[in-house]
Amino acid sequence: MSFLSFAWNWLKSPAQWHGSGDIPIRLLQHLGYSGLSLLVAALIALPAGIWIGHTGRGGVVVVNIANAWRAIPTLGLLVLMVVLIGFSVLAWLVPLVVLAIPPILVNAYEGVAGVDPDLRDSARGMGMTGWQSLRKVELPVALPLIMLGLRTGAIFVVATATIAAEIGLGGLGRYIIDGLSQSNYAEVAGGAVLVVLLALLVQVIFVVLRFLVVPAPLRTAARNDG
Amino acid sequence: MITFDHVTKRYPDGTVAVDALSLEIPAGKTMVLVGPSGCGKTTSLRMINRLIEPTDGTILIDGQDVLAANPAQLRRGIGYVIQQTGLFPHRTIEDNIATVPLLNHWSKAKARARSRELMELVGLDLQMAKRYPHQLSGGQQQRVGVARALAADPPVLLMDEPFSAVDPIVRASLQDELLRLQAELRKTIVMVTHDVEEAIKVGDIVAVFRPGGHLAQVDTPERLLGAPADDYVTDFVGFDRGIRRLSFFSADGLDLDAEAMAGESATVADARALSVPWVLVLDSERKPRGWAASADLASLPAGSKLADVPLAPIGHTFRPGYDSLRSALDATVLSRTERAVGVAADGTVLGVTTYERLRSAIRAAEEAADLQAAGPARAGAAP
Amino acid sequence: MNWPLLWQYTGANALLGVLPAVLGLAIALPLGVACARWRWFYVPILPLTTILYSIPSLALFVVLIDYTGLSNTTVIIPLTLFSLCVLVPNVVDGLRSVPQPVRQAATAMGFGPMRRLIRVELPLAIPVIIAGLRIAVVSSISLASVGQLIGVSSLGYFFLDGFQRDFPEEIYVGGAAIIALALVCDLLLVQTRRLATPWSRR
Repeated sequence: MSFLSFAWNWLKSPAQWHGSGDIPIRLLQHLGYSGLSLLVAALIALPAGIWIGHTGRGGVVVVNIANAWRAIPTLGLLVLMVVLIGFSVLAWLVPLVVLAIPPILVNAYEGVAGVDPDLRDSARGMGMTGWQSLRKVELPVALPLIMLGLRTGAIFVVATATIAAEIGLGGLGRYIIDGLSQSNYAEVAGGAVLVVLLALLVQVIFVVLRFLVVPAPLRTAARNDG
Repeated sequence: MITFDHVTKRYPDGTVAVDALSLEIPAGKTMVLVGPSGCGKTTSLRMINRLIEPTDGTILIDGQDVLAANPAQLRRGIGYVIQQTGLFPHRTIEDNIATVPLLNHWSKAKARARSRELMELVGLDLQMAKRYPHQLSGGQQQRVGVARALAADPPVLLMDEPFSAVDPIVRASLQDELLRLQAELRKTIVMVTHDVEEAIKVGDIVAVFRPGGHLAQVDTPERLLGAPADDYVTDFVGFDRGIRRLSFFSADGLDLDAEAMAGESATVADARALSVPWVLVLDSERKPRGWAASADLASLPAGSKLADVPLAPIGHTFRPGYDSLRSALDATVLSRTERAVGVAADGTVLGVTTYERLRSAIRAAEEAADLQAAGPARAGAAP
Repeated sequence: MNWPLLWQYTGANALLGVLPAVLGLAIALPLGVACARWRWFYVPILPLTTILYSIPSLALFVVLIDYTGLSNTTVIIPLTLFSLCVLVPNVVDGLRSVPQPVRQAATAMGFGPMRRLIRVELPLAIPVIIAGLRIAVVSSISLASVGQLIGVSSLGYFFLDGFQRDFPEEIYVGGAAIIALALVCDLLLVQTRRLATPWSRR
């Protein structure tokens, strides 16, 4: 298969591993953009989603976002930012964050709102305040869905960062975009392989994270449902 | 007729749900399988229509081995009613009932006509034909379930705790409905319940299961109450079985007192002449008005009419041709005068019963029942 | 504003968005039925869909260039795979959502497994399946625009053109067109669900 041989030859070549455009640097860049965006998105979306799920107010907004956000065109948002404010941190950060917020928000909301009302009832009956109920009962039970939201957000962030190479961002997408414009198929192929590997790596990280963070009984319960 | 011949259900992990069950279910009768959770009654029921396959033994319906037939074909000839109804949410009531006829390639018109017939039979308003199940109450849904099971006129009807999911009042009316239907249709019904009261009320024959899939006793409800086979059955049947048994004895056997009464136009003197502690006062149509106490009669002028005398209320009456000794006993217990009035269908008085007369009637009925039971063999035979 | 061009690209985008979802459904239905019936079959398939879904679309487009060139197919195949990732779990969940008593009653009345599937289980699974279809269609319509990066025509054209010419209005138009297209398809699917399920409580 020529795609793989193209990619393999390109990856083997030492030029990719040294110099300013080398793989480790681009990899770190990609992780950096993704990680930062995910963090910012989580800082905004997690408290919002948890709060709306806990109080029940504003659920309508979340439901509408849940239905509409997938329509937002990634590429369109990226180029729009650059055309409006020029290339800067915000030009890539805002689209990445905006596209990562909905899955985190919606899943956090559904996680907390979906807690069995009987559980909430017993918590209140035992004398817990709303805050305590949230911390000790609702959040732990909502954890699987919250983790799922973060994982989905990570998928979108990594994918968007790849596309953001088009507007001049670094990262692994650079190889694909540059390769395409220079008709250097080896670079394109190599870049694609790296992107796929990174995406899989991120998934593995989240699987491990899930194992560490979510208590065993909740893990299997969630799997049986899904 | 359905026959279980040493039927066993053993699961791969070793649990034995039903152990060498042998049972005969006579045609045209209601057999109720009753027992605690995990005793194998539901498993046994579901082996009849092969929702569960037996591990050992044979089940015959009218001589045909159920394992020999094609399962889908077999099931089209057996009605099945379950607790949660299992009505198709996406079909109207009418189409739900018509399911099996349509499966059997009836024309839509014919099937729907049959649906309407059945809706009337089970007491459902025809206006509901085009509605969907979620628009009906629990009791109505279960009636649809029964109608659906009867649509193709199967000879056998299987019912798995059909009335357990509704409240007691609805349950009682559904049980009455079933008794009425059975009197009209005479199907072979096999019903599973954990409620021994329901079994006694509805069953012609009751099979009591022990945990582990064995039979403890198979008998008529009256025999079950009168002569439980062992301690397990006695416990299972519950308290007050002596009194509950009385519902199976007709009040016909009572020797009623037709003398201690007088019309309202009779005089106090006439009543005093009867020399009884209580005199039943009748109106012009020979319907009961009230009781006159002899103590009161003694203090009143001899010439006054009974119509003007203060009377104790009649309380609850009973109908000797229709009610049981239990009803008669209950009416007597409730009465202030320790006497109950037996009336005919039109309300006219037939006579009065006392504790004494009840005692003789009960004794006679019990002896007759014991004598009859001592004759034919008990387990699995129709009385 | 070049209206004929807008129409042309909207049409192209619509094709690139709807076709993958339809193809995905055609594959997901039998696959989902098998997964719902045989648990051991679903066990490997579910993680497979999760993994596949995590791969950025651009990477998948690029992988296929070698095999299908720079044609529509190069975009349609990955988008179909993404649709599958959403639709298979939805078909399985939809079938599993059919209440147990209903399934049992159908068997007891003499429905064979195939007839039960077609007459009872699938109709009752329609709401969940259509929910998945909505997600698949809307996502595909949006992702199709990324295909512009490898030269496959869609509304993404206006994004790149507006970018090169520093012309935000053009980007707005492209964005509005995509969102409008997605909205129309979504509403059509909601209507379809309403028509297909006359029994559901409104």
